Amino acid sequence: MRTKVEVLTKSELDAIYQAALDILSGIGVNIEDNELIEILKKNGCTVGDNSIVYIPEKVVTRCLNSTPRGKVRLSGRDPSKDIVLEKDQKHPSVISHVLMNYYDELNNQYRTITRDDIKNFITVSDYLDTIDGNWMCTLMPDYGKLYTFYEYEIAIRNTTKPVCVSSFEPDSIPPTLELAEAVAGSKDELLKRPLTLAFCEVSPLTWNKYGCDMLKASSMWGIQPTITVETPMGDTGPVTYAGNIAQKIAELLSGLVIVQILQEGLPIAFVVPLETFDMRTAQICLASRPDYLYGLAVGQIEDYLDIPFISPVSPDSKLLDMQQAYELSFSMLSRILSNNKCLVIHGLDQTHAINNELLFLMDEIILSGRKMLEGIEVSEETLALEPLKEVAAKMEGSRRNGHFLNHRHTLKWFAKEQVPRKDNIIDKYRREKWIEMGSKSFVKRANEKVNEVLQGYTPEPLPKEIERVIEKIYVKYGIPLI
Amino acid sequence: MNDYIKNINDAVIGYDIELVKKNVTDAINDGKDPIIIMNQGLSKAIVEIGEKFGKEEIFLVELMIAADACMAGVEIVKKSILDKKIAIQKPKGIIVVGTVLGDIHNIGKDILKTLLETSGFEVHDIGVDQPAENFIKKALEVNAKLIASSALLTTTAPHQKDIEENLKENNLKGKIKTIIGGAATSLSWSKEVGSDFYASTATEGISIIKKFFEGE
Repeated sequence: MRTKVEVLTKSELDAIYQAALDILSGIGVNIEDNELIEILKKNGCTVGDNSIVYIPEKVVTRCLNSTPRGKVRLSGRDPSKDIVLEKDQKHPSVISHVLMNYYDELNNQYRTITRDDIKNFITVSDYLDTIDGNWMCTLMPDYGKLYTFYEYEIAIRNTTKPVCVSSFEPDSIPPTLELAEAVAGSKDELLKRPLTLAFCEVSPLTWNKYGCDMLKASSMWGIQPTITVETPMGDTGPVTYAGNIAQKIAELLSGLVIVQILQEGLPIAFVVPLETFDMRTAQICLASRPDYLYGLAVGQIEDYLDIPFISPVSPDSKLLDMQQAYELSFSMLSRILSNNKCLVIHGLDQTHAINNELLFLMDEIILSGRKMLEGIEVSEETLALEPLKEVAAKMEGSRRNGHFLNHRHTLKWFAKEQVPRKDNIIDKYRREKWIEMGSKSFVKRANEKVNEVLQGYTPEPLPKEIERVIEKIYVKYGIPLI
Repeated sequence: MNDYIKNINDAVIGYDIELVKKNVTDAINDGKDPIIIMNQGLSKAIVEIGEKFGKEEIFLVELMIAADACMAGVEIVKKSILDKKIAIQKPKGIIVVGTVLGDIHNIGKDILKTLLETSGFEVHDIGVDQPAENFIKKALEVNAKLIASSALLTTTAPHQKDIEENLKENNLKGKIKTIIGGAATSLSWSKEVGSDFYASTATEGISIIKKFFEGE
């Protein structure tokens, strides 16, 4: 990545980080689990009234030192498609998130997601080169309490790319982990390519019973605990950017400290959204103006901590409309330009719905964003003086009539410089031609492409040995067949 | 497919002008029939490339370079045909192309010209900024059955109507057909000026022109 927008100076980052340390040592974290409180106490923390644990800087530093830094791996069936988040990535990785509803714009239908919806969405994501993996959290009613297992299973059936899960249910972890081991190939391989499993802390500065259970259940080899914090600006986090970011870092580090004390050396990932409490509607929104500025800071913050941030992009729009395009573009582009390592994109409706056509808008934004990151190459060849001389030498009478359209310089460079699309999802025709082709909207064109993909593309089938493991897991855990 | 034909095909499809020249020269030096080289080696390749462009499978620059590569081969074959005094095939049609008065845009016209030439048509390019009478004069001189005029500007498009008026005045309307194109034109504009055909793109123009001459 060559282009980089920066909105914080080094001394400002130092000040934010110091504030985070002061929060942990001076304000403390509410831990709703006596076992964890005792463990933290034995490891150098102090405990005050009301289960408030104060974490001194030396404990934070020790735990940061035991955490694998600078690199996070997200895995799936095919190791060559693993997402490796690290410094000097060429461009951000992008994950499409599967959610609890499907929005069908062309049929004006908003429905609870079905297995077919999930399968189709993951298939299209698998098809697109710009989408690097899937994140699952559908809470589909049919899945009951074991939804984490069901979601993971349906995802790995339809993609060889990395699959990550969010979970609210510790009981679903054992069967999911067994399946992840089969996907990795062995217990040893699972240690190298662990299951990424996200769960959430509660702001301000609280690990509630559920969060504590998830911390304990996931702090084991084979799992990459992924800590999510949500500090909506003006709600459970300060309305000021600096304070909000400092609180986020403090909350993330509190989770990191607990994980490292429970299982020293375990790899950890962070999922860090920026939410705004909308003072007009009393709604927590993710794709608001503050998100775009925060997006520009994400790359700097993760580089400062040397731990990649998986950064949610979550439009509030309910439709595939101009608001959707605006929110998606600004949220994605700000993160891309800040050199954020990984974006996880929720479709629409405030993390409640997905849509297949939208994947193609993401695809286009990603291609544009990647190109912007490359910057402008200046060399003797790209300055193109020799080709210009040749073109300028072509005359019709006393008038220059040359052009670059049939010049080898254009042939050599156009794909790299212009990154042209070969499909017609983004309309570039003249009006008459566009009318002749049916006057189709972006959504209609994207829908045709979705149908083409679903009819013509089949993700690599699940190997038989994994199928056999799945059968055994169903029997072993008494999981109902759906 | 013979190896030498395949080599020529591959060189055109590979956008390699120098390799096309070499492969065509080698084939001629080996005593291969220039007409077969022309029809099966060069024309077939460029037709394939043109179809790909029509289906938006390749980009314009790729089509243009392939056409240039093809034309480089055609020139060598033509020379061989003349040298060997082989009866020259009739062109598929004779066409005059140009950009209308006041308009110096040549790219669209040049694309059309390249595609027509590589498709076996005899093309007479009168250039840009040309008054109506020059189109007609050239058409009569070369016995062209079709005039193709391009206009990129709304201010210059009315000169396409001048061509129609000039044809009528000279009692040539219907004897010499017309096709218009360019950014300032449209199907409704074509009807307004009274042109025989309209093409929104160069590739559409090729398709229309081919059909016209097939019916001649």
